Amino acid sequence: MRQVSLPRTLGELWAVLQRQPHSAVYAGGTDLFVKIRDGQLNPESLVCLERLTELQGVQDNGDELFIGAATTHSKLIVAESVREHLRVLVKAASVLGSPPIRHMGTIGGNIVTASPAGDTLPALYVLSAEVEIRHCEGSKRIPINEFIIGPGTVDLAKGEILAGVWLRKHQGWNLSHYEKIGRRKAQACAIASMAAVLELTETGKVKRARLAWGSVGPTVITSEGVENALIGEQLSLEVLKNAGTMLDKAISPIYDIRAGADYRRMVSKAMLLRLNDYACGTTY
Amino acid sequence: MNDQNFDNKNTSFSYLESRPLHIGASVPRLDAYEKVTGKEKYAADYYGENLVWAGVKRAGVPHAVLRGIDFSSAVKVPGIVRVLTHEDITGSNRQGVIRKDQPVLVNDKARHCGDAIALVLADNKESLKEALDLIVCDFEPLPGVFDSEQGLRNGAALVHEDNADGNRLLKGEIKTGSGSDAYKECDVIVEACFQTQSQEHAYLETEAGWARLLANGKLEIVCSTQTPFRDRMEVAEALGLDPTLVRIIAPYPGGAFGGKDGVTVQTLLGLAALHSGGRPVKMWWNREESFVSGTKRHAALMYYQLGAKADGTLHFLDVRLYFDTGPYDHLGGVVLTLALEHAGGPYRIPNAQLTGWAVYTNNPIGGAFRGFGVTQVTAAVEQVMDMLAQKLGMDPVKLRLKNATKRGDRSCVGKTMVCSNGLVECLETLSKHDLWKQADDWKSSAGPFKRRGVGIAAAMQGSGYGPVVPDYANAKVELTSDGKIRVYCGVVDMGQGNASTNLQIAGSILGQESGQMELVLPDTDRTLPSGSASASRCTYTFGNALIGAAETLKQRILQRAADLFMASGPHEMALIPGSVRHLPTGREVPLFRLVKFFQDSERIAVHHFRAPVAADNIGVSPEIKLHGLPHTLFSFGACLAAVEVDELTGAAEVKRFLAVSDCGKVLNPQIYQQQIHGGIAQGLGYALSEKLEVEKGRILTTGFSTYIIPTASDVPEIDSIAVEIYEPTGPFGLKGVGEIATNGPLPAVANAVADALGIRVFESPLTAERILEAFASNGRQESSI
Repeated sequence: MRQVSLPRTLGELWAVLQRQPHSAVYAGGTDLFVKIRDGQLNPESLVCLERLTELQGVQDNGDELFIGAATTHSKLIVAESVREHLRVLVKAASVLGSPPIRHMGTIGGNIVTASPAGDTLPALYVLSAEVEIRHCEGSKRIPINEFIIGPGTVDLAKGEILAGVWLRKHQGWNLSHYEKIGRRKAQACAIASMAAVLELTETGKVKRARLAWGSVGPTVITSEGVENALIGEQLSLEVLKNAGTMLDKAISPIYDIRAGADYRRMVSKAMLLRLNDYACGTTY
Repeated sequence: MNDQNFDNKNTSFSYLESRPLHIGASVPRLDAYEKVTGKEKYAADYYGENLVWAGVKRAGVPHAVLRGIDFSSAVKVPGIVRVLTHEDITGSNRQGVIRKDQPVLVNDKARHCGDAIALVLADNKESLKEALDLIVCDFEPLPGVFDSEQGLRNGAALVHEDNADGNRLLKGEIKTGSGSDAYKECDVIVEACFQTQSQEHAYLETEAGWARLLANGKLEIVCSTQTPFRDRMEVAEALGLDPTLVRIIAPYPGGAFGGKDGVTVQTLLGLAALHSGGRPVKMWWNREESFVSGTKRHAALMYYQLGAKADGTLHFLDVRLYFDTGPYDHLGGVVLTLALEHAGGPYRIPNAQLTGWAVYTNNPIGGAFRGFGVTQVTAAVEQVMDMLAQKLGMDPVKLRLKNATKRGDRSCVGKTMVCSNGLVECLETLSKHDLWKQADDWKSSAGPFKRRGVGIAAAMQGSGYGPVVPDYANAKVELTSDGKIRVYCGVVDMGQGNASTNLQIAGSILGQESGQMELVLPDTDRTLPSGSASASRCTYTFGNALIGAAETLKQRILQRAADLFMASGPHEMALIPGSVRHLPTGREVPLFRLVKFFQDSERIAVHHFRAPVAADNIGVSPEIKLHGLPHTLFSFGACLAAVEVDELTGAAEVKRFLAVSDCGKVLNPQIYQQQIHGGIAQGLGYALSEKLEVEKGRILTTGFSTYIIPTASDVPEIDSIAVEIYEPTGPFGLKGVGEIATNGPLPAVANAVADALGIRVFESPLTAERILEAFASNGRQESSI
């Protein structure tokens, strides 16, 4: 039997974490409970964050949105402000897991689990998200790519929690794209994924571009080489193919039970070509 | 404890809106309400006071001599009742259907990772787990056999040293006409090698059961099984018991698909109950254990050569099949035999040389799975048919129509097809469907980076046990003392809906609505021996028996009522819901009243039915005959898959699916469609995503996050059309529908992918990775990107 604490205020939370420093902290539990059942983890006690109102929902703070760590994916994807400003995140969270997983799982959990396949992560990277870390004496903000250190590893000390993510509202992207390659259409872990936000001029030239890949390296992969190859160019198959050649150095895919490394390498580049659909006027 | 009633209860449906039970009506399944409201009691739902949990220590190694078992630490765990090994078994300690080669608990060596080594009895699940982890097996590792072709080579490690044929469980050889020599007479020959994978049954309810030993020495086992009457004999023999002291009670399984065709938990539970001091015992495998220890669809390697005359007349077939049966027979020899019988599909092929081997390996156990060997060979033959059509420049439907068997033709094993045969109607219906007629338009309107293809496949599926093993059923119908009609089902309903159909048959004959009906699920003490729930036979065989029993009871009721009313005879009487009516006068007597004029012995009618078998001697060996060849009753089908392949990822998406099937007359269209839809969904999983990863005998995919079964989003809209050809030997003209639909999806999808890309993927499942690799190495440079 394990003790499960469900603090309702931050004060209660800090007290519990001080009393039980070896607790596993979770919100939806969709990752943690799988690991406990598998025997990968055996925490002494559990602390659940889902009842802390401070960590719930999306707050509009002027130029920025704050998404509480315990906000479920299903709540996130219907939030008006997120739909308006962070379309790539909505696209990514909409294909995460399955309806039951999206009802339970949270954005904070997806970040802290730090799986290379985490569906919200490439979207958060291209949107330059910052995470807010809280502890009993205060809080700090750090960029998500500094927070996530490696597969399953984040820069979170004992007594600290991930409180949420900060995202700038008006980023000026007029093309938001997320593609996930899984072994089936739902309830599938990404074999490879790609988030892309672009600002295209009226004539279809790439003014700015941010792209990120999931499941093809220890953490989310970004490539300035690819982005630079796109900037200033008219979107076309040639340009996208050429940009893809810059990806080879950036990614380091592995072979696992879901797919081989070569396949991941091939589709990482191939997914770029999908952006050509936008050049052809396909609306997404 | 013992006065508690753990029987399968008499289920009544009087709380639901009473419905007429006419044959041919879409009567909602009578099991649906209890199942969706969670009221239905499955084998996994049995507990009871003072319960003992039983669990199994698995080998965890694919092949090793068992030198000793150290459970000294395990027995010290608080809450442990007993640890049992093979030394505690006084019977044969062997299980199996044809060759009894599977130990209940290993006594000499482990032959696959899922072998059971020790059985632990505990007061609770936590102690059980702890004790299982503390048991140490002293193994001397042996080289393993992990590939069926390798297993047949000289010098391969032996899975069963006592088997005279080495690793060969069964070899089957069939030659018709001039066999292989006929290749010389062909104008066109196509050749290919196909590899199909192991498939997991993936039922919702993992293997589960409950048992107790009564004071009178009777062993009661409640379990999730397709085979209660065979289980009774197997458990008794393995444990050295009198079979009449073993009672098997079989609630609805939560899915089975062949994976519960034979013993899973039964003998282990029986053994546990013999040593639990009279306490009830429960065993419930978790998903991982179900993967590791349960049976799988046989992985197959299939070499095909198919030859035809220039006009498309099939002339010659040469097939070599290698079926990986894992370490035990289970039903591997029978599966291989069905594969041989169906190797040429539903076509006339006058000259054939068919050879097959079921090979022992140290991989997971190959066993029964919906389709039962037919699924594998249908995947192969329907793809070589398309390859042939392409080579001949013929339309694939026309090539199939040209060679389709009709009633009275011979199948590729030389068996005269005497049953009703709607194959031509299936193919013609398919060819007139919009999905086929408008295929070119649909294909040419693919979006960017998409290519579309349409593929078809035809299939047949033999039903029943073949010429030797008796395929019989005994139905029992009772007029209860309160005037209800109670049907005792001898065949398990594992989800197909046959229990409900049985009520429809009896209700229809006896003029009763669902509210007047009661149901008893299989129980070796209460229902009568009726064979297994398998082989597309359930409603065919049991239904025929049930018609006889219901007609007998009907005559008895009408006669008694006629006597009571002093009518001139039973022809003046009619059964109406709840009553018997005298038609000339309109007078009625309710059944609850009429039954008072019955003695108990008259209230029950029974009837035996044995399925007809093939009369022709086609010259196969007695061993192959015993394994079921040839069959005499077949269902037929043709299907179409409209597939869109993504050039960038290789992912094949089935956009639409059409199935046209001849399963005889349909008794309940809703249940019929559910069987077709389910078979297609399972077949699409086999075609596209279900890939059991096995590395040197170890399964790496032991859960549903890595073993990918389709979700609702992966199954397309399905059009299903029944071509209802009346089968003269069937109940109300019916044939089996349980398996036919699962055979078509893989070849139809593979043919569609080949149509879309111009390349063929010979190994299933057709994952995006495999398709993209084939595409990249073949046609990428020519494509638009």
